[in-house]
Amino acid sequence: MIKKTRNTEGVSRRDFLGLAAFGAAILGSIGVLAGSLRFVKADVYSEESKKFKIGKKENFPIGTTRKFDDKNVFIFSDDNGLFAISAICTHLGCIVSPSEFGFQCPCHGSRYDENGNVIGGPAPRPLEWYEINQEVDGTLFIDAGKAVPQGTKYLFA
Amino acid sequence: MQSRFYLSLLLISSLVLIAFMGIAFNREMNPEWKKYQTEYKDFLVKNAKDASTRQRAERIQIGMQQIYIKSLERSDRCMSCHRGVENPLMAEAEQPHRQHSGNYLENHPIAKFGCTVCHRGQDRATNMREAHGEEHTHWDFPIIPSKYIQGSCAQCHDYEMLRQEGGEKVARGEELFRQKGCQGCHKIGGKGGDLGKDIAGIGSRPFAYFSMKHVVGDHNLYNWVKQHFDDPRAIVPESEMRVFLTDEEAELLTTYMMTFVTAEMPRNYTLIKNVIQPKIDGESLYKMYCIACHSDGRVSLYDEIFKRTIPAIRNPAFTRSIDDEHLRTIIKEGRKGTQMTAWKVSAAGLTDADINKIIMYITMNRPEKKPEPFGFLKYKADVRHGEELYNIRCEFCHGAEGKGGEGFLGINLRNPAVQKADPEFLAITVRDGREGTPMVSFGMKGLKLDNQDIADMVAYVKTLSQKK
Ligand code: FES
Repeated sequence: MIKKTRNTEGVSRRDFLGLAAFGAAILGSIGVLAGSLRFVKADVYSEESKKFKIGKKENFPIGTTRKFDDKNVFIFSDDNGLFAISAICTHLGCIVSPSEFGFQCPCHGSRYDENGNVIGGPAPRPLEWYEINQEVDGTLFIDAGKAVPQGTKYLFA
Repeated sequence: MQSRFYLSLLLISSLVLIAFMGIAFNREMNPEWKKYQTEYKDFLVKNAKDASTRQRAERIQIGMQQIYIKSLERSDRCMSCHRGVENPLMAEAEQPHRQHSGNYLENHPIAKFGCTVCHRGQDRATNMREAHGEEHTHWDFPIIPSKYIQGSCAQCHDYEMLRQEGGEKVARGEELFRQKGCQGCHKIGGKGGDLGKDIAGIGSRPFAYFSMKHVVGDHNLYNWVKQHFDDPRAIVPESEMRVFLTDEEAELLTTYMMTFVTAEMPRNYTLIKNVIQPKIDGESLYKMYCIACHSDGRVSLYDEIFKRTIPAIRNPAFTRSIDDEHLRTIIKEGRKGTQMTAWKVSAAGLTDADINKIIMYITMNRPEKKPEPFGFLKYKADVRHGEELYNIRCEFCHGAEGKGGEGFLGINLRNPAVQKADPEFLAITVRDGREGTPMVSFGMKGLKLDNQDIADMVAYVKTLSQKK
């Protein structure tokens, strides 16, 4: 009987068992390894969101300058659209205020032009610009976690 | 033979592993929220009223949502299913997609407050059953039913503001709490009687604190509190709690109980508009601390739970015959052997000023005319004769031993308030009786005993405490 099986199928029953067992074990291990890669990147992080809503675009007619105090971000609106500039000085993190030439830091005298470029003082880098985006319902929000190149302005339909 | 056994073992365990992997993979790929978010996105794409809205809807990324709020120690993932909660386009949609009702979110942006700080539930859960904490999930604070949710508002707001601006249920609950005399038996913030449990922090007490055996429906804090208000003894069989509440009042009070939580909100969350405390007068104090047992105090009543008669402390017959000093002693020290609590500041927490206000309220209708003095000291009292008279006249109501109690109409004459009372006061009570109570007049107006007999009886009564 055994002999017959061996002859017709070419693989002994024990060989088949061994193949299947090791095959399944390897498959399982690969699966577990591949699956655990899934956990390298978390779905959500325990950090406060840097996004915040600023309302409808109608609130920002051309010529608007507004500062969101608790978020330390300026919002401007001109012919080319809306843009958001950080109010945090790149030197040691004081809060800059608008001035006739752009922005002025009260702490060590850094000065920035209206695009946030350094024009004086110890600041090493220009002020950051942030992404402005729109919710489905049209509400605008700023993502202070996402810096965008200087000069990025947003026009919303 | 042996290797075959091991190979089979390896094969079977590997297959089991693969099967579990399949399950895990399937779960990972199809979480409950994914279905809802897909529905949400499809709905918005389909119903977009212009091209740009459609574009934005198409850009919606499906993924787990979380609002992490460090100062509240919360990671609310509710929006993983309720993604439309801030979206006015979802005002009419069905749950879980519907926009939040009312204008609450205008002043309570989700990014700052999250959800569970008001609604409770399990912040980190990612499926409905666990997030709402319903049924047998054993989460201590399941999602709070909307009828009680205003209890959450009081974490940050004062009752005056709540009364005017959308928190009327919890504000009414707070009022009821003062009017129903809850603090007659329950301490809160160090003030109140001690017949019942201290209710500080009841709104944030873990599930395990309560006996849920008799609770109908979901076994949770809210049902326990509400059903306990409906019928205390149905939930806690040995309870002595007296309640006279309509269903609505029980709901309002349950809402108010949810305000007693231990965690304090951070400063930048609270908004107290009215710092002035309402003036509390004698009447309010009487309602807060006395009314639960004494009702309006006009008639004495036999209490089925306490198995004793509760005296009519605002009845003119009572107030006429008792002076303020005596009343003050009773209120401050309580009456041993009865449910009457000692209200002094070191016990139930009432200040002398509070007690004075209560006394003024109780004696408000005290008749101008003092009872005719008895002149107890004029009589030479015969205790033995007093005992004989007692056995004929008094025993029926006060019991052979003067203990009153179960089955007797009269009060316990052995308690210190009687034993330490001025015999003059006792003699007047016996002579004139006490209106509104079963105590009739034994003097010339009533049962026609002469003063000597009354003096003898009083003298005997005063000896009761020395008897076994
Ligand atoms: S922090 Fe602004 S100049 Fe130093």
